[in-house]
Amino acid sequence: MSPHPGWVASLLLAVVLLPLLSVAWLALESLNNPTAWWALWTAPQTVSAMALTLWTGLASTTLAWWISGWLLAQGFIRHRLAGMTRVLPAMLATPHAALAIGLLFLVAPSGWVLRAISPWLTGFEFPPPWPTTQDPWGLGLIAALVLKEVPFLLWTAATQLHRDDVRRRWQAEFSLAETLGYAPDRAWWLVVWPQLAPRLWWPLMAVLAYGLTVVDMALVIGPASPPTLAVLAWQWLQDADLAANAQGAAAGGLLALLVLVTGLGWRTLMWASWRPVDGRRGRVPTRLTDDRTGRAGGVWAWRAILLIYGAIVLALAVGSVSGVWPFPAMLPEVWTLQAWITVWSSASTVTDTLLLAIGSTLLSLLWAVAWLELVPRRWDSALRPLLYLPLVLPGVLWVVGLYGLVLWLRWEGQWAGMLLAHTSLVLPYVLLALSPAYLGFDPRYRHLAESLGRSRWDFLWRIKWPLLRHALAASVAVGFAVSVAQFLPTLYVGAGRWNTVTTEAVTLAAGAQRSLTGAYAWLQFVLPVLGFALAAWVGRPRRFTVPST
Amino acid sequence: MTELSSIHRRQALTWMAASASVLSWPLTVFAQSRPWADTLAAARGQTVYFNAWAGSDRTNAYLQWVASEVQTAFGVKLEHVKITDTADVVKRVGSEKNAGRHAREGTVDLVWINGENFAAMKADGLLLAPWAEQLPNFAKVDTVGKPTTRNDFSVPTDGQESPWGMAQFTFFADSQRLPAPPQSMKELLALAKRQPGRITYPRLPDFTGTTFVKQALIDTVADPSVLTKPPVPAELERVTAPLWRFLDELHPHLWRSGRQFPQSPAAIRQMVADGELLLGMTFNPNEAANEIAARRLPASVKSWQFARGTIGNTHFVAIPYNARSPEGAQVVANFLLSARAQARKADITVWGDPTVLDLTRLSPQERAEFPVQALPGQVATPAPTLPEPHATWVDPVEKEWVRRYGR
Repeated sequence: MSPHPGWVASLLLAVVLLPLLSVAWLALESLNNPTAWWALWTAPQTVSAMALTLWTGLASTTLAWWISGWLLAQGFIRHRLAGMTRVLPAMLATPHAALAIGLLFLVAPSGWVLRAISPWLTGFEFPPPWPTTQDPWGLGLIAALVLKEVPFLLWTAATQLHRDDVRRRWQAEFSLAETLGYAPDRAWWLVVWPQLAPRLWWPLMAVLAYGLTVVDMALVIGPASPPTLAVLAWQWLQDADLAANAQGAAAGGLLALLVLVTGLGWRTLMWASWRPVDGRRGRVPTRLTDDRTGRAGGVWAWRAILLIYGAIVLALAVGSVSGVWPFPAMLPEVWTLQAWITVWSSASTVTDTLLLAIGSTLLSLLWAVAWLELVPRRWDSALRPLLYLPLVLPGVLWVVGLYGLVLWLRWEGQWAGMLLAHTSLVLPYVLLALSPAYLGFDPRYRHLAESLGRSRWDFLWRIKWPLLRHALAASVAVGFAVSVAQFLPTLYVGAGRWNTVTTEAVTLAAGAQRSLTGAYAWLQFVLPVLGFALAAWVGRPRRFTVPST
Repeated sequence: MTELSSIHRRQALTWMAASASVLSWPLTVFAQSRPWADTLAAARGQTVYFNAWAGSDRTNAYLQWVASEVQTAFGVKLEHVKITDTADVVKRVGSEKNAGRHAREGTVDLVWINGENFAAMKADGLLLAPWAEQLPNFAKVDTVGKPTTRNDFSVPTDGQESPWGMAQFTFFADSQRLPAPPQSMKELLALAKRQPGRITYPRLPDFTGTTFVKQALIDTVADPSVLTKPPVPAELERVTAPLWRFLDELHPHLWRSGRQFPQSPAAIRQMVADGELLLGMTFNPNEAANEIAARRLPASVKSWQFARGTIGNTHFVAIPYNARSPEGAQVVANFLLSARAQARKADITVWGDPTVLDLTRLSPQERAEFPVQALPGQVATPAPTLPEPHATWVDPVEKEWVRRYGR
């Protein structure tokens, strides 16, 4: 039985491409408004907001990329990758907003860090008037983005390194380089990294696009006056004035241009640096080859990241039960469960979050598996850029198009509209997470099954999918986490009728009520983590018991 | 199959309803003057989507109580649609109108509103024809003593919104750190100079931030009477010049040197609680008392208003032209005006939002439901209420503020 690319593939394509292209078309159509572009150009904040966006987006992506490469090197050389990837899901599952809120609880002038060293070290009786939250330079935003994106890059790299077809070869090449006398670090940077890095191109672009266009995180921890361009666009989109809305859409268009230009620029740089130089596979930054500091630093950096994540979760938990909490006390003076009682009394928020996440993830998984299974490889690679459109287009622009489509379908504020909005953003992530393992599946299994006379279904159900159980479960967890973390589409397409833990957390963070913000942010963190834990359990390696004789 | 036919039927029905409402104004007016019993009957079983700002869990909890009351008493299902900015709702109803939505085809049934948002909805024809003053409970509203219940930022309500609660611009601070609170903008400036970096106000267009600037405008303008009328473009610069001079002088001494402003009054309140800021500001005179009761502010916090008075206004509920459940929305609005609901709302431990009713017009039993003695954190000596400048002042002042300080 051979795959029939014809109608099944076309159908699969149509199901996704029709809404995708209409959303994109509606979004782009809103940009055809010269007055709005002129208003954007003359708006007093545009230029400085754009500069801030470029700074925070590029700095965070560069740092995240560099740190990830460095950590991967340490992990690969010291055979610690497995240990690192074990904790990754929890970090990966942490929604951006929860991370930003937690980081805020740590670094604010009245945050834990300063409380810990006051007044014995600093002499402060009151929080200092320091700009450590929403700092005008965007450092807090950069830190939050880096903390969030490093685990994502590590994880996508790990899925590549777990692929059956490459793992053995890279390991062999690495060992060969070592036997030729290269130091392990050098062997990594010369042999493995140049092959791995190009495969991380799309994840990297997702990170870059996210860094340039993020709204929820920037609302919480980013600079406020001026804010980044994405936040400015979001504020304009929410304005009662239709002209301001058009200006917001134009700002979204400008963001798309920024993503495109910086993406192309990055690509050019990458090509230039990976081009073989005097017969070598890549150029090595000399700093990185210093063995001892590199390794010690790697361990230190990894522990620091783990520590910050732990502190964030703890800060959110303590914050959620805090009442009066004067500076510089380490713990609240008054503890109260008020925030959790409030959360409990609006339980529909949690069930809505769960149902939306499960619905959109299952739809995405079904489609992604069908696509990878049935569609010819060359269609797939040709259409990938289009399928990743929602990842690369700025969120603010995407919701404009989504809202247009949903309004046309009369689905605004409806379950169907919400499902469409979430699925359109979950699907690319599920596809991204599933592809490496799915496409890297050893074709010999199939040939073997066919030669034994097994049907295609039989092969899928009994061999391929069970073997890919880990990847399937992991991609479901990713989709679930992505859906839970959605802020813009939930608020915009949901006509405000749908509350998820994320919209609650971000809305409340603007209201800055510590306990309730902490409660929702903590919940926002816990739900996806449970998802990943479940995925890990489902995808755990099978153990064969040897019958005792 | 059945689903398909029901969609057709629904579309036909809505089309008919829509054409009826468009073709005949008198019909709508007639519908409004129907006896209250008819409204109650039509409301039974309806779902009302109440779009209300949800930044405070006390407000949210109060609305949950309202929801359970109207469900049991009138069979109306109230859904609180939690929003961050009412302008968002104005925009959404506007988009729906642009998309050709007719009566009973909208997503909003009731909206918590006042000021420029009401002015915008009224001007754009996004509101239901007059209904509010026909509500049975409207008779008890103190329209004489609280003229802002019929006059929203100098824009007549014309029965298109129903008063819900009163607000007056109020400051609060920990009396242990600030024993002598400033009694005017001039004193506030002096305090900011003495203790730099410890005072701020929310970034415009936040409602409270805008009110702070309007308060400064009233305190600095040469002739306050110009503020009751729409601004004359040619005069705008001259009239507002003292305001910008004052803010230019104040800002360098504010939190983060006035280069950055918090997003909301709640953010300021949290910073007051943490000791990062000296004083907070709110539109609810009882907010500090609430927060003390909720044990989020220390009991030594006190509230006050400027000696010569501060800006006060009324907040309302309005029904969009395309509400799906206008009858249910009116029943909810009427319930919100009942002595029981108003008394509960005025209760510090619930919300602490001052009533719009005239207590002398209530029966003794109804009056007994209202709280009497002052609680920690409440305003000790209430100051006069100054009327809001005309709603049309907000836009130019906000735009100029953003141009000057919003970069």
